[in-house]
Amino acid sequence: MVVFLDAVEKALTGKPCSERDYDLKIFSTKLREVVKEYDIKYDPENLVSSDNSLADDIFKAAFDFYCEVGTYCKDTERIIKFDENEIKDRLRNSPSRIVFGEGVDAGTMVPRKPEDRTPPWRFVGAGGVAVSSEDVFMGLVENYAKIPIANSITTPTLTRVNGIRIRPYSPLEILGAIRTVALGREAIRRAGRPGLPIMNSIATADSAIALVAGLHPEYGLRPTDGYMVATLAELKTNFDLLNRACALMSLGLPTAAIFGPIFGGYCGGPEGTAVVTVAYHLMGALVYQAGWFLAFPIHIKHIASSMPELLWVASVYAQAISRNTHLLALYYDYTAAGPCTKMSLYEMAAQYTAAITSGVSMETGGIAKGRREDYLTPVEPRFAAEVAYAAAGMKREDANEIVKNLASKYVDKIADPPIGMKYQECCDTKTGKPSRKCLNIYNGVRKELKDLGLDLSRNEREY
Amino acid sequence: MSKSRYLTAVSEIINYWFFPTRRTSVINMGEEELLKTLSESVVACDRDAVVKAAQQAIEKGLDPVKAIEKGLSKGAITVGEKFDRLEIFLTDLMMAADAMKAGLDILLPLISEEKVLKKGTVVSGTVKGDIHDIGKNILSALFSANGFEVHDLGVDVSTSKFIEEAEKVRADIIALSALMSSTIGGQKDVIDYLSETGKREKFIVMVGGGPTTREWTEEIGADGYAETAMEAVKVALELIEKKRS
Repeated sequence: MVVFLDAVEKALTGKPCSERDYDLKIFSTKLREVVKEYDIKYDPENLVSSDNSLADDIFKAAFDFYCEVGTYCKDTERIIKFDENEIKDRLRNSPSRIVFGEGVDAGTMVPRKPEDRTPPWRFVGAGGVAVSSEDVFMGLVENYAKIPIANSITTPTLTRVNGIRIRPYSPLEILGAIRTVALGREAIRRAGRPGLPIMNSIATADSAIALVAGLHPEYGLRPTDGYMVATLAELKTNFDLLNRACALMSLGLPTAAIFGPIFGGYCGGPEGTAVVTVAYHLMGALVYQAGWFLAFPIHIKHIASSMPELLWVASVYAQAISRNTHLLALYYDYTAAGPCTKMSLYEMAAQYTAAITSGVSMETGGIAKGRREDYLTPVEPRFAAEVAYAAAGMKREDANEIVKNLASKYVDKIADPPIGMKYQECCDTKTGKPSRKCLNIYNGVRKELKDLGLDLSRNEREY
Repeated sequence: MSKSRYLTAVSEIINYWFFPTRRTSVINMGEEELLKTLSESVVACDRDAVVKAAQQAIEKGLDPVKAIEKGLSKGAITVGEKFDRLEIFLTDLMMAADAMKAGLDILLPLISEEKVLKKGTVVSGTVKGDIHDIGKNILSALFSANGFEVHDLGVDVSTSKFIEEAEKVRADIIALSALMSSTIGGQKDVIDYLSETGKREKFIVMVGGGPTTREWTEEIGADGYAETAMEAVKVALELIEKKRS
């Protein structure tokens, strides 16, 4: 079986190649070939596909593609490649369940299938979006932890330490990473759910050194929290990311590979983006020895994932993975619109309905494109988790009608979306509770969804 | 006629009659047709065809300024517009930029005052601590395609490197990319460094990338900002015109 050191050795001994040649001659050329060979075609009428053979073809295309192109290591300028048997073997041996959290707040993440009634893992919160202060951080995380159906928490990213803007690879980043952990754990404890796992550990740590600093048990992270290692677009890594994977693996911590293939970039159109999204799961399993996987395919221009082409990508990649592997896969969304807008809720509902009915779980993601500090509230993650819970078990055909209907409500506004309001504008900054205006929007969209056939009230109490 | 040019001519005649798809390099091509070939070859990302057409333009005595402006640049503008509408993707954009550059390499040395053709000179890069390059690559490609001289410094670029290079090439614009909320501080560092060393007025500073917003641009005192690379080109042109006037 491939072990971590094999990937490192391959990074040192693999085929030498310039990055430009990898992008243009290897990656792009082979991707076009497999898309053509397997006759993969985007279908705007079926944003949630019911075609099992399409899902299986996308998986086969991604498998062939990854065997051929491997992963590019930017530090060694070599290609890390695995053969067919190595990939199959790793997929067979990848974890099929992981327990996260402690005590009564513990839960087990399990794989799902398309139309599966098994509730998805609901990983809720900020998705790593930036906040301007520790007060905002605490207010948000405490209220994320109060979402009754939350299985785990994704914290915001701190951008300042004592008012000084954090710089990467600096002591400020290390201090920010440590504070993220300590504050996150404290905020969850204040919510009365001390065992709830933090699973984007550590949001503020971009570098391996900051991650390792924040891992010290003194600060509050646990082996039952979730840990992440990013990739570089497309299918690339470097020593700093491998260092992160190495540190986490050496401590036996449950590590996710996270990846955002770019629609319109080297992936090309929706077909290529779907294939590359699946290929990233293979990369994560083999190069990082990841046990769970987080995908966020994203639009190159609009920095969101709610447009029809990407809804289709979310659906078909999820089906390709869930039908052909037992990998623990999650989908992460980007909305164009900001908090406290109807549009952001429509975007979330469309994306999670597509992904959950196609067989994956979810992390709530980048609202307002994830680019604006403090544009976060506890309402959107709660809504997203409720959508995910309600969509489990729905037929893909029914989901398709709902998703198309939702997309029609916002697709014309994606280029110029409403940015919504900041946390300070739509929540009580002392308690973190959302304003009446915010709740009215939330309740209004919930009612609209019920009329469309997605009833969010079946599982939890109202605000 | 030298032997090699004779052989080239024979080969082109053979290509013309027996391989109709290769007719882009045909002899006796008129000026308009040649300009069209230059433009269309950039759009088709066909580097070899651009090189051939540029060489032919020289052989035919076509004004290189005209060959660039009415041929290569016209194609490049079409490529930029197609990319903006996502009718083509990043791979095509990069290959078209390559083709354009190959054509410029042939034609530019023939122009005595090459600066006349340039819209401006840009030093671009991703700031210190940030290793993301796709957004910056798109920006560099579109700036090149739109007639800017681009000096792309890559990723994880130190503050002083941006400034040294900008002074060396007498840049009009320093374009700073950052993808992470933890790395945009690097954009402020470059502006602060310029201000504190008395060089701020020498350069237009543009910022862009994932977490960059108009508010951030104003907060750090940058001159320009755009959400997309195509928009950045327009903003750059406006800022240069404003500065020069």
